[in-house]
Amino acid sequence: MPIFDQGYQHWNGQLANQTWRWLVITRQGLRAGMKNIIVRIVLLLAWIPAIALAAFLCIWGLLERQSDLLSGIMPILRLLGSSIVADPKHYRLEVWTISFHFFLSVEVYFSMILILLMGPNLISQDLRFNALPLYLSRPLRRIDYFVGKLAIIAALLGMVMVLPAIIAYLLGLLLSLDITILRDTFRLVVASIAYGSVFAMSGGLLVLALSSLSRNSRYVALFWLGVWFLGGVLGQALDANARDQRRHIYFANIDRASMRRVPAARSRGERNRFEREMSDAYRRADEEFQAAEVRASATNWRPLVSYTANITRVGEQMLGTNNSWDALSKLWPAGQRQTLLLFWKGQQYPWYWSAGVLLGLFGLSTWILNVKVKSLDRLK
Amino acid sequence: MERPAQQQPATTLFRFEGVTKTYGSITALDDLTLNVPVGAIGLLGPNGSGKTTMIRSLLGLIPVDRGSGEILGMDFRTRQLEIRRAVGFAPEDECLFPRTVGVEFVAYAGELVGMGYRDAMQRAHEVLDYVGLGEARYRKVESYSTGMKQRLKLASAIVHDPKMLILDEPTNGMDPAGRDEIIELSADLSRNKGMSLLFSSHLLPDVEAVCDYVIVMGSGKLLQQGPIQQLKQLHQLSFEMRLKSDGANFTRRLAALGCVTRIQDDLLIVQVPAGASQNLLWEAAAAGNEQIRYLRPQRSTLEEVFLDALKQPNGRAV
Repeated sequence: MPIFDQGYQHWNGQLANQTWRWLVITRQGLRAGMKNIIVRIVLLLAWIPAIALAAFLCIWGLLERQSDLLSGIMPILRLLGSSIVADPKHYRLEVWTISFHFFLSVEVYFSMILILLMGPNLISQDLRFNALPLYLSRPLRRIDYFVGKLAIIAALLGMVMVLPAIIAYLLGLLLSLDITILRDTFRLVVASIAYGSVFAMSGGLLVLALSSLSRNSRYVALFWLGVWFLGGVLGQALDANARDQRRHIYFANIDRASMRRVPAARSRGERNRFEREMSDAYRRADEEFQAAEVRASATNWRPLVSYTANITRVGEQMLGTNNSWDALSKLWPAGQRQTLLLFWKGQQYPWYWSAGVLLGLFGLSTWILNVKVKSLDRLK
Repeated sequence: MERPAQQQPATTLFRFEGVTKTYGSITALDDLTLNVPVGAIGLLGPNGSGKTTMIRSLLGLIPVDRGSGEILGMDFRTRQLEIRRAVGFAPEDECLFPRTVGVEFVAYAGELVGMGYRDAMQRAHEVLDYVGLGEARYRKVESYSTGMKQRLKLASAIVHDPKMLILDEPTNGMDPAGRDEIIELSADLSRNKGMSLLFSSHLLPDVEAVCDYVIVMGSGKLLQQGPIQQLKQLHQLSFEMRLKSDGANFTRRLAALGCVTRIQDDLLIVQVPAGASQNLLWEAAAAGNEQIRYLRPQRSTLEEVFLDALKQPNGRAV
């Protein structure tokens, strides 16, 4: 035996306990993912809306303090409405809520892109290279494996949704120098975290389930694109079809009003009366159309086929966006209020329908993962 | 470096008590009872004999239907995670952590067992050097050859310095040089580094080269177990001979004396009648003026032990 055997040395270190073992998988997944330059670019781009949000909240903080620093951009700020500029504190919650809503709505799309780039590889590559026996023959349970993989998606979404929201919130808080802002708007932080968590759980589990369906991650990526775009396109197509039917009724009403011809050689007074009647008929048709749109919006199930629409709808509920729009709508002209509300609030079907769809997808994803990623308790 | 005295393992490496495991109508382990001492253990058996199921049971990867057992003093039904911390396992199939280079692969395996990142990375470099993959440590593992992948699996199994190493068909599909390397490493770990070894293989020379104790499985049952040297028992009435001449006359003479002869490679195998001894051979040679160049009692090969075990309806232990 050699005096100093360099061939193999024993190791006397301590092994960590079991609780955070899944974190090793997450770290490795993120390390591998971050080697992809496209992922890094998308992550950077995803911070642009965050910077915009932070900048807006800082400006809002200065506006609340009526700071002279804003004098240069005051004409632009007046676009918010004179009432808001005159008493910004009164509209603080509404404006902050809607700012967070816009920010998170944009980040949903960046998150979908990041999931597209990172998600498909997560399990399909392990299946392709038969890595599961390597994982499961170590002190690791199946649940640790799933949690570790899911946490990769959660970490990415946290980086583009939750973390920027918190940083922007803190910046807004610091520049407003008003502690009441914490009381008024703290739930936005909680809602942003909840929004990101729901998206991470739902989207993460869905992409893991898709990833477990194939050993080829390209097919999984195509599947994810299908879930994203086909769902969205189908939802819009169904919606457009339904709207066309309502519009058809609207135009039929207009046509009925137009059928009445102006009799020849009538007096001027009669012609004026006729034109007023026509105008009233157009207005009624218009009102009926708007009312029909509002009614349809409350029960429109068609967006449920779009994954992002469901996420956004649940997110709106968490943030309380609709209440904010309702409050701000009081500043709008009464005649345009319904139309503008419909435009800004979007579809108003019950939020729990979307929650139900997400819950269903969650259950389906869990079942797929349970079936496709088996333990080693089987014959070859 | 040898293990410190306080880490001396117990005398029993693992034991099974009436363990039964079924997959539907297939009985993979059939009321298996055995007690195996520490050391280098060879696990032999044809395909479907229950070797892999036995290994998975030991690691607590699968629940058994009936029976109990221990490995390194830990009940494999209740302390699965502790067992997998103490045991290193290299599975039979080709399996890789994708998109990693060699050193990341091994370090990741160490981290999964519970090593810190720095420790795992340092240790990964050491064991890669040990298995001879030092030059390839920064290459993508997907580009490794079959032999390199086997050595990589071995490195990832020993990265946390386990008390016991389980190698499932480690030389499958390898060229002779690669096979020799794995055998050499396995033998070194078990003989010089104090690591107990369970070496599952259907290649008898590999088992013989590495192990000093063997378990033979068949149809989920234990067919034979014991130290290889004892299993390869001496035959009292059978001798191996080599003569100077071609031996045709000598063979006829032996047949006339009641001996049964056969040629095996360049040896003449002679079975003398009951009650006779090797003196009979010397006398026959002297009478026929033959020169005996080599004579010794015949010893069973491991292959014979294995084939005999497969023919037996019930297992036995030496």
